[in-house]
Amino acid sequence: MSSISTGARLLLPDRDLRWLLLKWIVALVVPLSVFTFVWSGEEIVNNVLLGIFLPQSTQFTTSTVIQAGIFILLFYATVMALIGYLVAADTGYRGIVELWIDVLVFVIVPLLLIIITNNLLIGLALCAIIWPLYFLLRKYVRKLRHYVPPLPLESLQVIDAEKRALLMSKAAIGGFWFGMTFSVISLIADIVFYISDPNSFPLVLLAWVVVRTLLLPVAGYFLGRLGGIVALRRTLNAKAEENGVAKKTNGRVSKRRQLQSLSASRAKEEAKDLVPNDLPLRSTGAQRFYLTILVAFVLFYPVLDPILFGSGTNGRLSGYGDAGFYVILALGLNIVVGFAGLLDLGYVAFFAIGSYAWGLVGSTQFTVVTRIVVNPQIWPWFFWPMIIVAALIAAFWAVVFGVPTLRLRGDYLAIVTLGFGEIIPIFFLELDKYTNGTNGIVGVYSPYFPGIDWHSYTPIPYYYLILALIALSIFANVRLRDSRLGRAWVAIREDEIAASSSGINLANTKLLAFGAGAFFSGVAGVYHAAKLGTVSPDNFNSADSIIYLAMVVIGGLGSIPGVIVGALAVYSINLFVLAQLDTIASDPNNILHTVQQLIPGFTFGSIRNLIFGIILVAVMIFRPEGLIPSARRRRELHRAEGEAAEVGSLDAPPGSAVFESEVRVE
Amino acid sequence: MNANRTELAGNPDAMKSASDPLLELSAVTKQFGGLTAVEKVDLVVRPREIVSVIGPNGAGKTTVFNLITGIYRPTSGNISLEGKSLVGLNPDQVVMRGITRTFQNIRLFNNMTVLENILVGQHTRLKAGLLGSLFRPPHVLREEEEARKRAVDLLGFFGTALLERQEEYVVNLSYADRRRVEIARALAASPKLLLLDEPTAGMNEAETLEAVKYVRRLRDELGLTILLIEHKLTVTMGISDRIAVLDYGRKIAEGLPEQVRRDEKVIAAYLGKATTSDQGAAE
Repeated sequence: MSSISTGARLLLPDRDLRWLLLKWIVALVVPLSVFTFVWSGEEIVNNVLLGIFLPQSTQFTTSTVIQAGIFILLFYATVMALIGYLVAADTGYRGIVELWIDVLVFVIVPLLLIIITNNLLIGLALCAIIWPLYFLLRKYVRKLRHYVPPLPLESLQVIDAEKRALLMSKAAIGGFWFGMTFSVISLIADIVFYISDPNSFPLVLLAWVVVRTLLLPVAGYFLGRLGGIVALRRTLNAKAEENGVAKKTNGRVSKRRQLQSLSASRAKEEAKDLVPNDLPLRSTGAQRFYLTILVAFVLFYPVLDPILFGSGTNGRLSGYGDAGFYVILALGLNIVVGFAGLLDLGYVAFFAIGSYAWGLVGSTQFTVVTRIVVNPQIWPWFFWPMIIVAALIAAFWAVVFGVPTLRLRGDYLAIVTLGFGEIIPIFFLELDKYTNGTNGIVGVYSPYFPGIDWHSYTPIPYYYLILALIALSIFANVRLRDSRLGRAWVAIREDEIAASSSGINLANTKLLAFGAGAFFSGVAGVYHAAKLGTVSPDNFNSADSIIYLAMVVIGGLGSIPGVIVGALAVYSINLFVLAQLDTIASDPNNILHTVQQLIPGFTFGSIRNLIFGIILVAVMIFRPEGLIPSARRRRELHRAEGEAAEVGSLDAPPGSAVFESEVRVE
Repeated sequence: MNANRTELAGNPDAMKSASDPLLELSAVTKQFGGLTAVEKVDLVVRPREIVSVIGPNGAGKTTVFNLITGIYRPTSGNISLEGKSLVGLNPDQVVMRGITRTFQNIRLFNNMTVLENILVGQHTRLKAGLLGSLFRPPHVLREEEEARKRAVDLLGFFGTALLERQEEYVVNLSYADRRRVEIARALAASPKLLLLDEPTAGMNEAETLEAVKYVRRLRDELGLTILLIEHKLTVTMGISDRIAVLDYGRKIAEGLPEQVRRDEKVIAAYLGKATTSDQGAAE
């Protein structure tokens, strides 16, 4: 590929490439423009610039400006790299209109909803209603048009050096033209603004417009190449394939041969990873970019929130801090119920243990209990080690409870854990000499970190704390899932007899699952106690355990992104929907008000459990694998009816009398 | 190549005294309430032998397997491996001692891939615990890498067909392939003794012949001792060093294939009691 011909292709791409460019550039530029011009993307940029060059004209501090600046850079750069990836990775099988409709429904509609409702969670909640409707509609339309989805590996190609260069240049060209298009659009938008109000344009911004117009296409070119590199990493490499063939005599089989031998469902999963791809938006390569944007957004959210949503930042951040510990609880329960398949209905017990651990240690109650006087300036330091210690205490008690009970059959285990969920909060209630009974412990210390103010009027430190804890929890979950222990848990869930006969100690492995799950609830408990500042038995309702289970089931048993989404969904429903319904019902003009009048003492909050029960049943009927299922679970639940359902979990461990009287092993 | 293969099964000292029994059942009895499933069965299996246990349906053969692997506890009697008793051990502890098995109805982990099934089979060989899984220190990474390689090697024992499908979910494989995966999973734990429960069940002629071949190779190349339950007499006659015959929970005959084939009691057991009473009346 001589540079002259590359240059010519850059400026005058050939026909096929032009279609591809049109397809993807429009698909991405429209949502990006909505974000930038309709929402507050441009406002953020302007504020960053003003903040850097004319600090007195904005109310933002330097650190805020820098953070916002980093976010903007990351965001736009990632989008431009993404387009390089998409142009390179697309096989072109899927039609343009189909793609644009998908982008409209899944990207633009949520953006607009969030903008209109000015609330992130409500906007997403509305999407949760719209998207299933869209799926149904699409299925119906596809049936009418006799749509045939492409075979997963039809487009499987082995990429040689020449094709690699071609992909790379496609990516670079895609990035260049995207940068160019967006640059032109921004320029037009700015001209319109300037014409309407010439005075509101300081010199700085004019200079920026010029710089940006020239910079974007160039940046697009190089970022597109970056996207191309990501795409090339996921191709089937010609050289590697040859090595595979050469080693065949030694028992190695080439990746291509492996892929061709796979069944359709498995091949579909593998095809998601590869480039060229029929659905590059859903491929795992694209997911890297989404994750980058998501992480950047979450990380810099406190700085962005005032611009994106206006006033009320502190309230929202505090709310997210509260939602955060739900996520940790869901991740912990996911280990017990999702990975190992042990039905735990009393998870709140370990949450209470964690909370009281910090409540008893990290407050004046410590002095009451142990008669040791502590310096209230130094004591809050102990928050940090207490996170681990309290979690270990919770795990310890999980093991203690587990030893006699994990030998029970699945249903009986569930009842016993339900008992824990009831007993432990009562235990703390009754032990009022130490725990202050119904009054609870007040004045629980916030954590101590030099230079950071942890009081409730600045929720930002708690926000970052919970983010860090969530990140660690996700890390631990992923590590555990893809390990010897994780495999043992799945094996136990699938077939206990086979697992035991393969060398897995059932009792110990189940105890490890129970303990690991309790560890995370301990962490959440400590955080909750510190943030709320009080620990009282009212916080720990045994019915909450059902809510936690709902989070895991709705989100997707065993799926890490699933349970995170499930936790946020349940939290939103709990807090917003029910609260909103109550607010609406208090309006005398509304229909719901009559319902409230009919039943004395009725609030939507009090039928929370009924609503969650209904949701759980609905999910179990229509989508048992959850919102974002793990691949394994989707297969488990949708296998053909003709296959015999093997009994997975055992009544009693092999070798015991009960076992022998009930199970025949053949 | 041979040394490599033997190492796969982890049996470097298989050449020790060939007359010391590897597995010994002494007067093993199993009662389920009023039913006596197994009654005073004695059995000796020596290293590198292939011993078959045959008998009509319901004779208690699978129960014997379950007793050996710890799924059931014997009511009385003793089972010992290399002189050490196995009675009272859990199935996973029995695997640690060196006995693995396959099941008559194939119990694979259906929603895991072929490789994952074999990796689970290696559970006792790997050492990563909770902390090791979390932090993945270099020795755990190395261990996982080696485990993966070993899993591929084990699959290679059966030829390239399984190698090509190593990332497939086992539920999508053919019946014969699933049997092979189950055997590979049992091999993964480096057993000294392999218990095969009707390895050719449901197979046609060609598949059966192939199965017989690889069972022999398991002993010849990997140095394993094999105890197998089999219904097809052609298979048993062709492959076994010795045969034990069970009927109604009792061992009614044992010996070389030729001896067993001609034994009256064995014929009676398979063809029905009427034959013996006829013969008795005629005499």
